[in-house]
Amino acid sequence: MNIGKILASATILSLLLSSMGCGGSPSGQSSQQTDLIGGLGAALGIKQQKIDLLKKGVGVVQAMEPIGEEEEITLGEAVAVEAFSRFGGEYSNPAWTRYINLVGKTVAEVSDRPTLNYHFAILNSQEQNAFAAPGGYIFITVGLLKTLNNEAELAGVLAHEIAHVTQKHMLDAIRRGALMGSVSELSLTAMKQDPAMFSSVIDEMTDLLFTKGLDKDKEFEADVVGVEYAYRAGYNPQGLEDYLQTLAKEEGHVESKFFTTHPSTTLRISKIDTLLKDYSDIKNLPFLTERFHQYVKAG
Amino acid sequence: MIETRENFEYLKIQHSRPSPTLKGGFMPDRIARVIVGVVFLTLAAWMIPTTNWAATLYAKKDDVKVNAEKSPTSAVVATLALGDAVTVLSEEGRHAKVKTATGKTGWVFKFRLAEEKPSTGGGGLGLSGLTGRKTIAARESRAGGSIRGLKESTEQYAKAKNIKQEDRDAVDHMEAFSIAPDELMQFKKAGNLGEFSGGVQ
Repeated sequence: MNIGKILASATILSLLLSSMGCGGSPSGQSSQQTDLIGGLGAALGIKQQKIDLLKKGVGVVQAMEPIGEEEEITLGEAVAVEAFSRFGGEYSNPAWTRYINLVGKTVAEVSDRPTLNYHFAILNSQEQNAFAAPGGYIFITVGLLKTLNNEAELAGVLAHEIAHVTQKHMLDAIRRGALMGSVSELSLTAMKQDPAMFSSVIDEMTDLLFTKGLDKDKEFEADVVGVEYAYRAGYNPQGLEDYLQTLAKEEGHVESKFFTTHPSTTLRISKIDTLLKDYSDIKNLPFLTERFHQYVKAG
Repeated sequence: MIETRENFEYLKIQHSRPSPTLKGGFMPDRIARVIVGVVFLTLAAWMIPTTNWAATLYAKKDDVKVNAEKSPTSAVVATLALGDAVTVLSEEGRHAKVKTATGKTGWVFKFRLAEEKPSTGGGGLGLSGLTGRKTIAARESRAGGSIRGLKESTEQYAKAKNIKQEDRDAVDHMEAFSIAPDELMQFKKAGNLGEFSGGVQ
């Protein structure tokens, strides 16, 4: 039997088992299915190597399904630990933390995933950067926060990160990895029972997030969606572009991973500038410069 | 229309008919009627408000307030749960006048509504698709059986990678941090944001 046939058999078997409702819960179902394949394979006298291929086939089929919210949060929490570990730990300033949470939640509640519980934190790094881990864990470095000029800029940066979460950009990248065979299964049970597999998924995610960056198209999409979220929240959606203008002046002079993990800042500015022309009623939307200075600059 | 042999023959006959334009006087009348029709339809379309007239929209989250006036501080006439449908009667700026399933009429901040009915579960492979089990599952998966603390998988990962305890605690602080709904409401009101945006107080 060739691999194609094995995978086809695995797919049919997986779908059959799904339709039969095997397993007590969706997350426990996958491991029970692969165990059942093992048992059936042994009973039919199929060699272990082929049984393993069948099991992997089922894993690939399941990797094609959307990753559930609880699995997403589990992955995001581990990525969050890495974010603190790599970027100087937690920046301890309760007033500033409260402020970025107020701004972040104002934006998140008009997003397309308002039911997710978003968390916002400041990283103790002078490097200008911001990240979003799956499950709604959002980070901004103190270096970036101090560079901003008003609340609309802060909202624009956070809205861009919230957009990565609502559009599930990181999860899509991981699912593609799963289809390439580097990840066998993304159920809660598998994450808990197979620490090596869990660790390889987190390594893949942190590598994307902190070193390689997401696809350029995903970054541009996060700009478009983020601008819309900032607008919905009532901020002047010019904020993100204004911050990028500040950043563009530093490109080439300041070392930051932001430049290697994001597309050209000038191209982003140009695209956002075009996009903003479609918003006809933003003239009177606020930048909240004074309030930003009360919270951040004075702190 | 199914293209039977007869239909096909009929089409051929139509095509072979002499053009009525050749008969003089008929075409101008017809053109005039078409022009009147187009003008009428254009005017009618123009008079319809540019809103999602009589569209059905859905609450994007729980606890969406339907107020008597556009102001979010006006009397609450109904409270929508995630996925509850409303009929949009009109739209003004950032607010929509809606009618609820129970017949109550009022105003909603329009970005609380979605065009498609939101899923009440997370879907996918997780337990979150089963309403009501999500919280229990999340609590069960915490290390040491306590509600606070990181998930078992995260603790295992952090331990294997020798990640400092203070960085693990930082995630715990991040998750435990909460904002009271009243505080968020005051923050939005003071900044003319969210439901208070667009000149509504």
